[in-house]
Amino acid sequence: MRRLRSFRTAALLLFACVLVRNAALNAQAPVEVYDWHLPKGFPKPRLPADNPMTPAKVELGRHLFYDSRLSVNSKASCATCHKQELAFTDGHPLGIGATGEKHPRGAMGLVNVAYSATLTWNNPGMKELEQQALVPMYGEHPVELGLREGDGLLGRLNSDPKYRELFERAFPESADRITVANVTKAIACFERSIISARSPWDRYHYERDESAISDAAKRGEILFFSQPLSCFRCHGGFNFSSATVSDGHEPQGSDFHNTGLYNMPGETSYPAPNVGIFEFTRNPKDVGKFKAPTLRNIALTAPYMHDGSIATLEDVIEHYAAGGRTVRSGAYAGVGRDNPNKDPLVGGSQLSDQDRSDLVEFLKSLTDRAVLRDSRFANPW
Amino acid sequence: MRYTLPARAILTVAVLPICLAFSQTASSPAPQELTVRGDIPAPLVLKADDLARMPRETAIVPDQDGTKVTYEGVPLREILQRAGVPLGKDLRGKTLASYILAKAHDGYQVVFSLGEMDAAFGNESILVADKRDGKPLFGYQGPFRLVCPNDKAGARSVRMLETLELVRLQK
Repeated sequence: MRRLRSFRTAALLLFACVLVRNAALNAQAPVEVYDWHLPKGFPKPRLPADNPMTPAKVELGRHLFYDSRLSVNSKASCATCHKQELAFTDGHPLGIGATGEKHPRGAMGLVNVAYSATLTWNNPGMKELEQQALVPMYGEHPVELGLREGDGLLGRLNSDPKYRELFERAFPESADRITVANVTKAIACFERSIISARSPWDRYHYERDESAISDAAKRGEILFFSQPLSCFRCHGGFNFSSATVSDGHEPQGSDFHNTGLYNMPGETSYPAPNVGIFEFTRNPKDVGKFKAPTLRNIALTAPYMHDGSIATLEDVIEHYAAGGRTVRSGAYAGVGRDNPNKDPLVGGSQLSDQDRSDLVEFLKSLTDRAVLRDSRFANPW
Repeated sequence: MRYTLPARAILTVAVLPICLAFSQTASSPAPQELTVRGDIPAPLVLKADDLARMPRETAIVPDQDGTKVTYEGVPLREILQRAGVPLGKDLRGKTLASYILAKAHDGYQVVFSLGEMDAAFGNESILVADKRDGKPLFGYQGPFRLVCPNDKAGARSVRMLETLELVRLQK
């Protein structure tokens, strides 16, 4: 009987020790809170409920983003088409996949992608980065990174002690940590962390630093926000894109616009396969409607438009001043100005040479050089 | 045919000032004064100092991106009353067919009926703002702008406000 009591006492003590140890472990590993370091004027980004930001996930995502082991032939990574020095674009008119296949559209920038209401040039349904990451990873039309299910990606990651450590930190609660779902969650967290808010225009606008931008840029700003030009109607707000979403705030107006870039005869006025959101809605009125992207860092993201068909900012301004582009010959010939789906806001404007130059200077003032060399966004390998 | 060149010349002479006027006004800052004019007894020209001495209010409104912005300035009703615009007991009969035409430096225009501003009717708290988050408005926003907190859309919150003009439809 005495022996039984001793056994019970020992068991209770052991149980108590386990409880104390677990409590101590929990106390040692508090949930890390991600600090966005958001400046004035920048709201908190909206996040999916099942993927809150943590420093550990951002760090894991950064390693994955720059890792060419995430491609079929170890020749490409996310960073191949999203280079930090080019505001996370690639400088090409059209994206080029790991196998050399061309994407029909250009790589979109990732700066401030946390605020993007929709994520691609023409898919209104693509709204979450976790979902979008699967397209370059596993998409076949076109092949981008060229991964396939069961091709050993997770095994490759698991065989690297560095990744085992990073996944353990990022997903401590998961028994099965190295999964495709966690890969996309981590990449999405890293992409959301790329916030650009330190351009000269930001210093001028939010800090009232008169010397931050030139007089030409100030004149260009007034033109940009003027009623006759109305550039701000599609590229307005703190992120210079109406297709902007943040915590508790839904986007206003349409994300997609036909700017009169083409007007070919036939069933679709834009060259296939780039027919705009018509590809998904099948509504003929949606032919040629593409996303109005952010203009932050736009001076670094040439060439422009969804298909990289305009080389310079000066030419973009000419396109809008003319109220659409006229393609004089060839398969794409047509007067874009007369495209029946063209947004009425693209009506054309009388612009002097100085106006054009001032507008370009204003757009250049949106370049945030700090984001191009911020070590938090750089290749960790 | 012999009239072709003179006709072009005339056209050029006629169109050029329009183009130049656009380029000169559209990219230049708005003047540092607000004019209240039209069919009123006491037209006004107000500067920032004048507004600073008038009764002031604030309005907290969501910006286009959802961030909260605090605007400070003078109620539009107060400015109109100082200019002799018929409000209060004078707003009746034919004067109810009157409106304020608000014009921006870039040519943008919107209207407000006197009825929607008057306390006995719409009682809208429209603000002529000169400060945003405690700092003077400048650049494409200032130095004066309208803020209409109860408008669901922001299109009547005229930036670079230059003139307020009373228009009477019935006299």
